[in-house]
Amino acid sequence: MLGASSRFHILPPDEFEAVTGEGPRDGKGTEKTPTDSELSARLRRLETQIERKRPKAAPDPSLRARNGGSSSLGQALTLSTEFVAGVIAGGILGWIVDHVFGTKPWGLIVLLMLGFVAGVYNVMRVSGFSGARPERRDRQEP
Amino acid sequence: MAVTIDPIEQFELKPLVSLGHIGHQQLAFTQSALYMFAAVGVIALITIVATASRSVVPGRMQSLAEIFYEFIADTVHQATGDGGKRFMPLVFSLFMFVLILNLFGMIPYAFAVTSHLIVTFGLAALVISTVVIFGVMKHGTHFFGLFVPSGVPKPLLAILVPIEIISFISRPISLSVRLFANMLAGHIAMKIFAFFVVQLLLAGAWSVLSPLPLFLTIALTALEFLVAALQAYVFATLTAIYLNDALHPGH
Repeated sequence: MLGASSRFHILPPDEFEAVTGEGPRDGKGTEKTPTDSELSARLRRLETQIERKRPKAAPDPSLRARNGGSSSLGQALTLSTEFVAGVIAGGILGWIVDHVFGTKPWGLIVLLMLGFVAGVYNVMRVSGFSGARPERRDRQEP
Repeated sequence: MAVTIDPIEQFELKPLVSLGHIGHQQLAFTQSALYMFAAVGVIALITIVATASRSVVPGRMQSLAEIFYEFIADTVHQATGDGGKRFMPLVFSLFMFVLILNLFGMIPYAFAVTSHLIVTFGLAALVISTVVIFGVMKHGTHFFGLFVPSGVPKPLLAILVPIEIISFISRPISLSVRLFANMLAGHIAMKIFAFFVVQLLLAGAWSVLSPLPLFLTIALTALEFLVAALQAYVFATLTAIYLNDALHPGH
């Protein structure tokens, strides 16, 4: 649908007929060759249809915002802070667990490792790598 | 010809009025607090004074306030849906506060309040405690279903639930560290590159190279204005996304 519209944009109607060889697009050959006004009306109808579809295909705002904007520097800072924050949170939690339950090195060791996992998990979620939204691509192509 | 400079010195807190001591720790009204009050004053000027006339065709200041309002209202609505209207004042206040403080930091010789971790962490702690308190108040224990991913076999939950909890605790940390690190790094980079200009000018024949760091400083300043606005936006958006978890805790 989108491909057809771009071809309409590039070629004026008479050249379009020259490329396809015949007027009617459905290939039946029983219809008469459409005039310029009919073609432009069809083009306008197609454009309104595309325009109506477009808002649905807009990207998810939450995903866009989580990338920290368009600059790659912002993205790098976002991803690194997400990872570091996971490790720090795990470390703090482990230190608290050790203090409260008196399990000295074990709480820190286990929860620091889980913190690394949580950091990687955060990064995967932020970068949209977790495959949680496979349907997004389908929605963009009606 | 040793001109030395400390790029960290700009972040030093300077007490203006001393309010006494707790132990050996001085309690003081610092320039940081002064900037915060100034930011609140500017925000009040933009939002209250500028919209006081309530004209149908907005003037210059009123349309500025309306742009900010609609921008944040859109952000909150997109992230939280219809239920998020009640958080609009919180997110709007946070956005304006961070934005104005970030932009204050861009004034030469001014102090960047948001380059202090404790300030940004205070704001992030406010957000997360709002999420937890509101979530528990509204959904009770069901709120903690946030930590249990659905469609996962039971034995795996023993590992996944702690990871989800750590991931949740890491949110205020990443929220505050992101803003703090962006402002700190940007201001240090600007200071250092600007100082290269001075150093090269004093370095005899090498001074022909001094326009290079000058152009870099100009570009960096433009980038910092972008970062100042962008980080305020990111802070507001992430706040709205986290508040969405309090409203709809389903995974």
